[in-house]
Amino acid sequence: MSASEELIEKTGGGFLSKLPILAAAVALIGLADSVYLTVKHFTGEKVPCSIVSGCEQVLTSEYAEIFGIPTAAFGALAYFAAFSLAVMTLYGDRRMWTLFGVQTVIMLLFTIWLFYLQAFVIGAFCQFCLLSAVTTLVLFLIFIGSKFFSGR
Amino acid sequence: MQNQPKNNSGGTPLLIIGAVFLIAIIGGWWLYSSSKTPPKPATNTGNSNNGTNAPTQKDIWERASLGAQPPHVLGSPNSAVTVEEFADFQCPTCASVQPLMKQITSAYGGRIKFIFRNYPLIQVHDKAYDAAVAAEAAGMQGKFWDMQNLLFTNQRTWVASANHRQQFADYAEQLGLNVEKFQTDMLGIPAKSRVDADLQRARSLQVRSTPTVYINGVEIPFSQVTVEGLSQYIDSELQKANAGKPAQGGATEPKAGESK
Repeated sequence: MSASEELIEKTGGGFLSKLPILAAAVALIGLADSVYLTVKHFTGEKVPCSIVSGCEQVLTSEYAEIFGIPTAAFGALAYFAAFSLAVMTLYGDRRMWTLFGVQTVIMLLFTIWLFYLQAFVIGAFCQFCLLSAVTTLVLFLIFIGSKFFSGR
Repeated sequence: MQNQPKNNSGGTPLLIIGAVFLIAIIGGWWLYSSSKTPPKPATNTGNSNNGTNAPTQKDIWERASLGAQPPHVLGSPNSAVTVEEFADFQCPTCASVQPLMKQITSAYGGRIKFIFRNYPLIQVHDKAYDAAVAAEAAGMQGKFWDMQNLLFTNQRTWVASANHRQQFADYAEQLGLNVEKFQTDMLGIPAKSRVDADLQRARSLQVRSTPTVYINGVEIPFSQVTVEGLSQYIDSELQKANAGKPAQGGATEPKAGESK
């Protein structure tokens, strides 16, 4: 029995077996995004403000770091973990999918907090931070979807 | 058995994970090193000796809407070299260039004329307009530059504040202003119309972003807005002013820059 056959058996088959692949792909987008933001944090590039592109109000705010570590670095770690868990699920370790679910819930809570900060505390949004919010939300929805459909 | 990956694929997930880890590290490092390249050296294309491009830029600058009159000036109003900065008090980059602008104004002193213009990006910065009005209101009591500096150095505080107008009043108090007059002036037409006039000037010059610095009508690229970069432009303009303008022959009138 190949790994994918095993997965089909465990997840109930059909498109559900594709969910971890999708999750891994989305996690990769999130990983690339947060690596980019982390690097940007360290290079400290200053960008002038303009009406069209806004500026680095979010990335230069006091919330850009937590205990001296760039917030984006936590994101990179989280996406890397989510990616790893999705890949391990893909290769047959179903426990990892549960861990993936726990991971996405934590990430979603963190994302909600960051979104709140942007909307109500900093008063500005950052495009790449919003992209990260979207990828986290998608990861969470993928997990919920897998539970919802396999529960039938 | 359930919890272990199959033997025939045992190494594969770890390989994939490891590869992604490496790619993330290498990619990040590559991004980091590629964005660390030093800015281009200053180009003096903007100088108005005989190019056809530069004089037009200066003409536009001279013909643009005047802005608040009289402008807030540091240094000598009669200097042959005018440094004009358009800035937004809520823009973090403007706050970060503030120390270097101060360095420039104190280093050159009376040899240059430094003008500060308000360009609040009201579409993206909700408190920028109020901050500009606060600086103008302080200016009506002779403390424009102190307020301008306070607003930049405390930017994070008042931007995050739920009641930024109260913060501005606190700064006015710190500066020893008549707070009641300050608050009335903030609501009045004169302070606002100064900000609006500056805004109009910024728009007629088509200033795209803040901070934008002009030296004798030439827009300085942002990568050159450093102490070294600006000094280079200022020095070359000062030199030109001292040498007179050969392009205009000997007809140049003596400049009044030396005596105030």
